[in-house]
Order: sequence, then structure tokens, then C-alpha cells
Amino acid sequence: MGLFDAIGIAGTGLTAQRVRMDVTAENLANADTTRGANGQPYQRQVVVLAQSGSSSFSGALSGALAQSGGGESPGGVHVTEIVGDRTPDRQVYDPGNPEANAQGYVKMPNVTTVTEMADLISEQQSYQSDVTAMQTAKSMFSSTLGLLK
Amino acid sequence: MIVPPVGGLGGGASAGISLAQSEALGSPASAGPAEGLAQNPSAAPAEAPFQGEAPAGSEAVGGESPGFGSALTEAISSLEKSQQSASAASQALATGTVKDPESAVVTVEDAAMSMQLAAQIRAKATEATQTIFQTQV
Repeated sequence: MGLFDAIGIAGTGLTAQRVRMDVTAENLANADTTRGANGQPYQRQVVVLAQSGSSSFSGALSGALAQSGGGESPGGVHVTEIVGDRTPDRQVYDPGNPEANAQGYVKMPNVTTVTEMADLISEQQSYQSDVTAMQTAKSMFSSTLGLLK
Repeated sequence: MIVPPVGGLGGGASAGISLAQSEALGSPASAGPAEGLAQNPSAAPAEAPFQGEAPAGSEAVGGESPGFGSALTEAISSLEKSQQSASAASQALATGTVKDPESAVVTVEDAAMSMQLAAQIRAKATEATQTIFQTQV
């Protein structure tokens, strides 16, 4: 394409932020899950984002100078992996809980609801800024086309 | 053919405009652009008439025009391709098979803006040809 790269790049940002939102929703939903997939308490999940396209400046420069065959990668961001948070589980004293050990403590997930809510705000803002970037690119292109009228 | 939900820029319109462009730009010596527009059946497939039209136009004009003709062919075929991928994306969105709604939106936006660009260039080229035909002799 080349002409509409900004829109594609903003689109990759939208996808990445949506994945982050999905993972945060999963974390919030499992904030009290004492039996995860492996029988252990649920482990908080974290999204790892990476830059797409040429990772180094020199690679990007040579790609731009070659001009002819290059430019297949529009850049942007992508989700490389979703990893578990290695923070230790919370120990909550609750002797009446069926999951409690001999001392009366229950291992709860390492999810902090307040942190997840703050993450939600950050994801929403990032998504909004990607949408704004896309709209701005569109209106720039439209005003360029207006020159032909 | 599923028409992408972008204001009046569907597949049928793409066939009509690419045909009109091929007539107006490919063979300026043979026919006026107004005639070419009036004769065009908008539902006809875009590729077949255009492939026949482009070499004729380039022969008529001469030396440097094969470059322009092939560039025009390429531009119109990529326009057609973007329209088709937008149709596929909106169909996948409608049937619920798409996993990534954002990329569908980006594809449809790309197609819409490519079509706007093509329509503007076509309007400008038609205007220029009409200016030439209005020359007093």
C-alpha cells in the first residue's frame, strides 16, 4: 500500500489493545479462582507487546532506501506472548474455606483488582488514541483529495 | 457480491469507475470521455474490457505512454483487489467468522479511500479531456 500505512499501523495498535483488554477481563473474572487449569490458584496473565517490522533503525533505513521491493511490513505493534505473572500468591486466613490448609490459610490468585482497574483505564486510553490516530490519518487523506476538486 | 458498508463505494461502483477510467484515460484519441461514460454498462466485469483497451490507447499516443498504460492497469487491478478483500472482510464480519474486527475495519477503510482517490483522479482526467475537446479551432 504505502499510501495508507498510518491506518494499518493504528489498526495493529487497536488489535493489541483489544488483546490487552481481553486478558485484563480474564484476570478480573478469575480474581477469586482458587482452582486454575493446573489445580493451583489462577495466575495473573500479562500481555507482552513487540514492535512489528524492522527492529533496528539501520534496517528501516535500508528498507526505505531500497524503495522498490521493500515496504511489505507496515510496522506497528503485535502481541508476542501472554505470560503468567510470577508474583507469589496471596495467603488469606480463612479457616472455613474448603481450600484452606492445616493452618487455615487459603492461597488466592495474585490478581489485585485495583491494579486491573487501572490497567483497564490505560487500555481504554490507548485504544482511544489509536482510533484518533486513524481518524486523523483519514481526514488528512481526505483533505489532500479535496485539493483535486 | 457482498457490498462493503462504505457510503456508495461498492463492487458495482468499482467496475463502473474502472471501466470509465480505462475509456477516458486509455484511448483519448479515439472517443470522447462523455461517450465512453454513456456507453459503459456498469455491471460488466472490469478486467476483460480494460485489458483490450490499454494497449490500443498506448499505441495511439506513442513513445512514453506504455509506462503510463501499465501503471494505470496496475493501479486499477490493485483497486479491484482492495475492493474484493474489503468484500471478503465485510462478509466474514457479517457471518461472524472473523477473529479480528479491527483488521476488517482497516481493510474496508483502505478500500474506501483507494476508491475515493481513484474517483477523484478519474474526475480530474475527465475534466482535462473535456477542456481539450472544447478547444476552439
